[in-house]
Amino acid sequence: MTALTIQWVALGLCVVGAAVRIPGLRKRHGRTIFAALVLLTVAVALSIEPIYLAVDGFLGGANIANLLLRLMLYAVFLLLGIRMAAAFDSNLARRLVVGPVGVTILALVVAATLYFFVTSELSGSSTALRDFGDQDTVQHYAAAGRLYPGYVAACLVIPAVAAVLDHEARTIHRVASAFLACSFSIVVVFVLLRLTPVNLMAWDIVLPFSAIVLTVVGLCLIWLSHTLGRRRTRQANKLV
Amino acid sequence: MAVTAKAFQLWRSRIAPQDTVSDVCRVAGIKRSTLAQQLVRGKVSVPTVVAIARGYGLPPVNALAVFEGYEDLPDGIKPPTDAELVSQVSHIDILRLLVARSEDRECAGTDLQLDLASFPHRNSVRAWVEAVDPGDLRQRLAESTGVARQNLSAQLTAGRLAPEIAVQAARIAGVSLTSGLVVTGLLTPVEGGWPPDGRARALCALADLDLVFLARDRLDVLGKQIRRAELDDGKDRAMWENLG
Repeated sequence: MTALTIQWVALGLCVVGAAVRIPGLRKRHGRTIFAALVLLTVAVALSIEPIYLAVDGFLGGANIANLLLRLMLYAVFLLLGIRMAAAFDSNLARRLVVGPVGVTILALVVAATLYFFVTSELSGSSTALRDFGDQDTVQHYAAAGRLYPGYVAACLVIPAVAAVLDHEARTIHRVASAFLACSFSIVVVFVLLRLTPVNLMAWDIVLPFSAIVLTVVGLCLIWLSHTLGRRRTRQANKLV
Repeated sequence: MAVTAKAFQLWRSRIAPQDTVSDVCRVAGIKRSTLAQQLVRGKVSVPTVVAIARGYGLPPVNALAVFEGYEDLPDGIKPPTDAELVSQVSHIDILRLLVARSEDRECAGTDLQLDLASFPHRNSVRAWVEAVDPGDLRQRLAESTGVARQNLSAQLTAGRLAPEIAVQAARIAGVSLTSGLVVTGLLTPVEGGWPPDGRARALCALADLDLVFLARDRLDVLGKQIRRAELDDGKDRAMWENLG
């Protein structure tokens, strides 16, 4: 029940987070984050059973929707990774995400995802491929799917924590950074936990989706600060 | 910190025995809800007391002297020192005098109108603290008021200083007890016993060398503030442009 609730909450928040940014698009504000939030919205929607079954049925019932979900999630993390590294002014995080290492990891993960998807026996829609969990290739497919998000989140944890500890920064930005830092930490912890044989049960859903909720809340706070900040700009003449 | 509501009510019943709280607020020009809230909390702020004293035509200094912690205020009024007076001249006015002197439009004894900007100016509080500091003012202030030093620094950076701390700073520095209240803008210069032409006189009395170093120090402070502000602006922009 809690797992299902948090999925719907995450979906609602993603929709809200993307919707509030629509007015700014005409002025070219926040297009990347808007794109990331739209992709995230679709990805979250595809994690919810009735939506997944409907969409995948439309796509032929071969779980292509799950593959799309994975690829969209990689795109979300790539876009968020680039923007967050720039927002936190972290050169190291930026290089780790878009530098040779980050690009190589992304390429390998995408290749592995495609390979394991093709080699798995996946006839009949199944949300999160739960019906096929006994196939080794499906497990590898899922593991590859967690690797890239985990890598990007790990790159961003330290810059986000540093932004929280920055006493000179605006309070709302520090609070937003705290949400983001929590979110990235949860992603990292989740990925690490899945590498162990621990049975996460409901946490298998709750952890990643609470990370999504925290990320979207953090982004909404920064959007709010931007919207308010545009209205009352700081003292223009600094010489008096 | 503020005065206790009990002491405030006693004082109010003495200065305006017939008036209700609403009348007092109307006379003082303060919001009724503000005073009501302060009374509920049991603490009435010093600016409220000053506003009411002004409203009833009482000298604010004498009104404050009724309350605990401010009893020595009227007897502690002295003329401000030249350092204090100069600290309350804005950097723009200091530079204007420098330019005037460089063009031989000397002011001392002549008719050059300085027309100084009113104070407090942007860095009034910090400049005053630096002007009266015998060397260990911040430390002794922190010890005697129980306010942490970071908190004091934060207040100074924000251009504020709580009234009781401002008075205590003046006690430690051995200057007029009202000076701190004047530079924080709580009292007007006249109410605090500052002569109207004092700043212009003290400024003009500076030798060229002192004037130049004063200007340098003020520009130094300004430069640091601008750098800080631009850094903060840059951080805000990075957040907004990338994630907003």
